[in-house]
Amino acid sequence: MKRILVGLALMALAVPAFAAKKVQITFWHAFGGGRTAFIQRMVEDFNYTHPGIEVKAEYKGSYRDTLNAAILAARQGAAPHIVQIFEVGSQLALDSGIFVPIEDYVPADLKFQLEDYIKPVANYYRIKGKFNSIPWNSSNPILYYNKDIFRKAGLDPENPPKTFGEVMKACEKIEATKAAPKCITWPLHSWFVEQWIAEQGALLANNENGRAARATDVYIDSEAMRRIVEWWKEMYDKGYYVYSGKPEDWDGANQIFVSQQAAMLITSTSDVTFMQNAAFENGFELGTGFLPIPDGVERNGTVVGGASLWLTKGHPDEEMKAALTFLLWFTNTENMVRWHKGTGYFPVLNTSVKVLEWQHWFERNPAYKAAFDQLLQSKANRATQGALIGPFPEIRTIIENMIQAVFQGKPIDQALKEADAQADKALREYNAAVGK
Amino acid sequence: METETHAAYKSRFLPWLLLLPTFVILLVFLYYPTFETFRLSFYRVAFLGLRKVYVGLDNYREIFTNPEYLRIFWNTAVYSFLVVFFSMAVGLFLSVLANQKVRGWRFYRLMLIWPYALSPAVAGVIFLFLFNPQAGIVNYFLDVLFGLRPDWLTQPGLAMFVLVAAAVWKNVGYNVVFYLAALQNLPGDVLEAALIDGATPWQRFWKVTFPLLSPMTFFLFVMNTIYAFFDTFPFVDLLTKGGPNGATNILIYNIYRDGFEFFKTGLAAAQSVVLFVGVVLLTLLQFRLGERRVHYGG
Repeated sequence: MKRILVGLALMALAVPAFAAKKVQITFWHAFGGGRTAFIQRMVEDFNYTHPGIEVKAEYKGSYRDTLNAAILAARQGAAPHIVQIFEVGSQLALDSGIFVPIEDYVPADLKFQLEDYIKPVANYYRIKGKFNSIPWNSSNPILYYNKDIFRKAGLDPENPPKTFGEVMKACEKIEATKAAPKCITWPLHSWFVEQWIAEQGALLANNENGRAARATDVYIDSEAMRRIVEWWKEMYDKGYYVYSGKPEDWDGANQIFVSQQAAMLITSTSDVTFMQNAAFENGFELGTGFLPIPDGVERNGTVVGGASLWLTKGHPDEEMKAALTFLLWFTNTENMVRWHKGTGYFPVLNTSVKVLEWQHWFERNPAYKAAFDQLLQSKANRATQGALIGPFPEIRTIIENMIQAVFQGKPIDQALKEADAQADKALREYNAAVGK
Repeated sequence: METETHAAYKSRFLPWLLLLPTFVILLVFLYYPTFETFRLSFYRVAFLGLRKVYVGLDNYREIFTNPEYLRIFWNTAVYSFLVVFFSMAVGLFLSVLANQKVRGWRFYRLMLIWPYALSPAVAGVIFLFLFNPQAGIVNYFLDVLFGLRPDWLTQPGLAMFVLVAAAVWKNVGYNVVFYLAALQNLPGDVLEAALIDGATPWQRFWKVTFPLLSPMTFFLFVMNTIYAFFDTFPFVDLLTKGGPNGATNILIYNIYRDGFEFFKTGLAAAQSVVLFVGVVLLTLLQFRLGERRVHYGG
């Protein structure tokens, strides 16, 4: 009898706990594999330290899948609170009208965090002077190289090529000495083209890369583009450049480099951690360097790639508040340090960088340093700010098709002209569809 | 007749009630989306339907005049023809072999059907590994034997070959199952009569077996066509993404791409309608022509 009474008393105590319902927040992201677990651990830490809020993180497939799922859910009035959207989806996200401009919702006492973003990142995500989303995973392309193959070929393992011409020369040596079956690989992806355009200080779209006003003209038939395509084609024809044959095949390029079929790889800085482990497992010494750029141009810098976190509209106040609390916690100084160490994505806050420097992290992990220096040395201008183009995903495909057509022997002049016309048409149709 | 069919049910409404779930599912998951597809094909749609403008036949005009789309139709025709032809030809050939009572026939049959049990995604990944130009086993052997290392996925013709091979390999098992069943149900007396009449094995196959198999061939033709049109998406997505330069871009892949990657839902809907009409026409044509040729005797 006594036990029952105690039990009832306990239940009575438990009831108020049930009554004070936690605010439920959903967070959709596009990171599979090990990163899902990484994010999950961070979310659990948040839930543990914020008893009033329950965040649920869900992996929704690729960047594109995640964006599609969010739009469809918003149509049905069941949008997740927080959505991760890739950088080139920014204009699309703005046009979709399902998100709020996040800066307007950040409470005054937390505004300082928005001032803490490193310049290149703030530069990209501040659209018309305002953060529309919280920058999260940021990266750009760097050169990875196999120091053992460099030694075998008689190249300086501490001095990787910095320009297109130097890459070509290194490749000649690697081929002549048979140090590796192929010289260099990178995914056949428009992202690298965009970076090389920015490195030359050139624009990809009119109206200052679509930053001053909506873009209405894509610049594919340009001098900057020609330099890239001509070099790439020569590299391909000479058998120095190799790729898996499938466009946008990140894993394929990694595989070629890790299996030591190629001496060099250009890919995202977000693979530093992965590459270091892979190099260790496959028994070669890894080096990293800046992205090689066309000869005779001043190094202008790279565009921030990656994704940011957007807040959807139409939720009750307390949910908006809770979602923001989570967002700002998730990207605060210590969590950015943790995120950087776990993945290789940039620590996007100045204070995180300070923490890492204080820990002598970059000295102890030189592979991460090249990546970060390259970002910090980028000049802040319209070129490195990156283009805002609505139908960016389609334009990427147009650029990738153009490269493949050139490989197959289409004259470069004609290929550039045709791609330019196609991209302009895609942009025209997009602008018409969104009613602008 | 009337009384007999109703005899099982006391009420006239009960059968309809029992059929209701089926109708609801058909309505919600089949008829409604089909209707929506037809409707959307007349709109220019932004963001998966958040905004739309009626544009009449513009989407269709685009599809039938833009050389990019015409190329996609051509690719689809070539690809489907090759997949259907080789799936069925290889399937028939293997089932004739597997139909013989040799030692271990159970094992052979099992092995032949096995690939069909794999999901297309898995099959696609297997082919991706096999035909990887640098690290793939195919190029390893070609290199050892002939000193060749073709770039399978960067040459339009070779890329198409790999795609067809993957789709055929995956679907041969299906054809084997049905052809084997048909072969085992062939009337033995007809074949015996042919044998006694002194027909060669070649004649027996083409003059007796093959015509007797025609109902099955007809059925498999329809099924393989549907497979080639609709179920080959994963191969393209995993192996080539439509490349190089659109050489392996087929309709079903392009519909996905236009619809979900490029957010051109209206255009994607119009292409779906074209594909739908294409399959309907092809099937009707087959029924018309097939009726006369197909021999349902036996």
